[in-house]
Amino acid sequence: MLSPYRVLDLTTERGFLCGQILGDLGADVIKVEPPGGTPGRRLAPFYRDEPHPDRSLYFWAYNRNKRGITLDLERPEGQELFRRLAARADFLLESETPGELARRGLGPDDLARENPGLVYVSITPFGQDGPKATYADADLVILAAAGPLYLTGDHDRPPVRVSVPQAYLHASVDAAAAALIANHERARSGRGQHVDVSAQQAVTLATQSNIVSAAIGAVEMERIAGGARVGPLTARFLWPARDGWVSITFLFGSSFGPFTARLMACVHAAGFCDAATRDKSWIEYFALLLTGRETVAEYERVKETVAAFTASRTKAELFALATERGLLIAPVATADELAASAQLAARDYWRMVEHPELGVSVRYPGPFARASATPIAYRRRPPLVGEHNREILAGELGLSADALADLARRGIV
Amino acid sequence: MTAPGDGALAGVKVLDLMWAIAGPGATRMLADYGATVVRVESTRRVDAIRTVGPHVEIPPGAEASALFHNLNAGKLMVTLDLAKPEARAVALDLVRWADVVTESFTPRAMRGWGLDYESLRAVKPDVIMLSTCLMGQTGPHAAFAGFGNLAAALTGFFQLCGWPDRPPAGPFGAYTDYIAPRFNAVAILAALDHRRRTGAGQHIDLSQAEAALHFLAPALLEHAANGRVPKAAGNRDPNHAPHGVYAARGDDRWVAIVATSDVEFAALADAMGQAALARDPRFATAAARLAHRDELDVLVEDWTRARDAAGIEGALQARGVPASVVASSRDLVDDPQLAHRGHFVRVTHPQYGTSTVEAARFHLTRTPPRAPEAAPTYGADNQYVLETILGYDAERIAELVVAGALE
Repeated sequence: MLSPYRVLDLTTERGFLCGQILGDLGADVIKVEPPGGTPGRRLAPFYRDEPHPDRSLYFWAYNRNKRGITLDLERPEGQELFRRLAARADFLLESETPGELARRGLGPDDLARENPGLVYVSITPFGQDGPKATYADADLVILAAAGPLYLTGDHDRPPVRVSVPQAYLHASVDAAAAALIANHERARSGRGQHVDVSAQQAVTLATQSNIVSAAIGAVEMERIAGGARVGPLTARFLWPARDGWVSITFLFGSSFGPFTARLMACVHAAGFCDAATRDKSWIEYFALLLTGRETVAEYERVKETVAAFTASRTKAELFALATERGLLIAPVATADELAASAQLAARDYWRMVEHPELGVSVRYPGPFARASATPIAYRRRPPLVGEHNREILAGELGLSADALADLARRGIV
Repeated sequence: MTAPGDGALAGVKVLDLMWAIAGPGATRMLADYGATVVRVESTRRVDAIRTVGPHVEIPPGAEASALFHNLNAGKLMVTLDLAKPEARAVALDLVRWADVVTESFTPRAMRGWGLDYESLRAVKPDVIMLSTCLMGQTGPHAAFAGFGNLAAALTGFFQLCGWPDRPPAGPFGAYTDYIAPRFNAVAILAALDHRRRTGAGQHIDLSQAEAALHFLAPALLEHAANGRVPKAAGNRDPNHAPHGVYAARGDDRWVAIVATSDVEFAALADAMGQAALARDPRFATAAARLAHRDELDVLVEDWTRARDAAGIEGALQARGVPASVVASSRDLVDDPQLAHRGHFVRVTHPQYGTSTVEAARFHLTRTPPRAPEAAPTYGADNQYVLETILGYDAERIAELVVAGALE
């Protein structure tokens, strides 16, 4: 979909995914790294646990469909080569501390002088300006600063994150959308612009608007394992199965209530609750609890009957029942179960990506979308450090073999 | 209603048949930047989000959800009961008007209404259609309907969030619903660009589960390449220590602290008044800190426990150490950074007087987003959409009312 476009990707791990999305959609993405490779190449886990800049699985996860060059942007020669690349690029993606690239003469205004159409995308922890703009950051810090962390985890333990860093992934997909909005406008005006993405603001979406609770005077949610708690009421999303766990959307009201009624019919049919429990008004149930016509203790008892039912079945049995009866039950899956998923297999989701440098093919997560006219293709495995220096710096910028060798000798590429 | 014609996406016309979070969250992003989004709802099939909090009033009425106000800000609201043939005729007229049609039903529902891609293409050959549901349009589980907590379970987020000695905690809420809107927006925008250049529309099938799996890609590659099944690790990180959430003074007050380098660790040790820790062989290098992280966690929490969370954040950030209060809604409403960015917007609401929504999350500096408004109420824009956009006369509109098509 984006095959005419050239993207320069200067990002650290804060922005890897943004360029990968544009690359998946067909853009020509060039990852520009400092000599020796971007620091994200040193992040675990590693292929066969061998720390090596070309074997970081974290780097692999977010850098396919890119070519890679190295360039020392602290040195004038590196800056000059970069300016020549930027003069013919459509997008530039970067994730430095605000002002860092401007200090080297590579800020949005500097590059716009030669290429007024450049869409210059900055992904930073807190945005380009404001009292926290230069704060030090990490995934956990952004999750804390944006709201979802407070709501996540066991009530009697510290708030807890997902064990794979998430904050900058949210920011990176926002950044890809923002870049394409600017691209749309450029088609009309011929002008690029500076796009300012704050990871903190990107992650606020993961509070499901609970971030506005205080502003509207609503009761704040509290953290509880496998659910959510508002005041005395605990919504339970995690339920036992015979061989693990399942998630159930066990909620009420005009939309959720009919699902709950069908689930309770199954609980009753299996002998885990009486008819009176089955026949409660599941559409009105939330209102009954709020007005005290139903006690919290009775609600807890109902949930225990459901838990006893789910604990008597396997994850697969419960999921089969859900698809057959229209219930909101899904298994809590592990990576090995995902690899064996019939649904993902039927859709040919996984993609084998060849790593000839290691003599192996590795199973990668597949396309994030299926586009009927322009399917996403995995054209390139993640680049090795400086893999395309010759192809791009000599082939495109016309540097001679001697000039390139000289730059390499001086540590600029 | 915001005047059409403003913003980076001015002129982009979207017919939005989506509900819940993953779909409407995407079209909200487009509306922020000036797209005209006509959202179709039926009072006979209530959007589940209208029943989900936080609410501006308890017990909540159908218009009281601030989540709904937030997700649907800046859209035009029209009510259509697609079970009625008259309503489906209106929908097809809106298809002729639109550049993009979005829907988040299961595949069967759209076919049943004669609104599948082939039917849409028959009336609008270059239409871009985005279909997004939990599992995708094909495969044995295509018909499995559900919400983001279920996709979060199915894709592994539940299993990977919690403590090693406890059942999974799971991420907060309908987690994949916070991932999918962004991918949906990206897919729509890329397809629009492709159509502008080639004239060709297309159908995009976006499985919420398949998109969300990219947020676990390192763990999936760990399994694929190393044969290991990743497990929840609390707040531990394979690269950095200390890396945790530590108790601060007060009830349920916490601070997140991370040292990603020797320099940051030395600064942390200095702030703790224990500068010598940076030279202690147990903590002098990243590898040593990872090997002794339990001891480190105890030392850090001994220091944080009696101190104010905001004070810790300030003291550590002043020394360049990544740290943040674990912020609640109450903290964030006063957060100077979000205030500086104009994140919270007090808006008027026709039924409740006011509500609060969030501004656009990212800034295009030359073509800024428009100021958000609360989502309009049920059918608030029926007249505008039918009369001004579709050019229906009063008689046609009256017929639709009589037929019950606008419910």
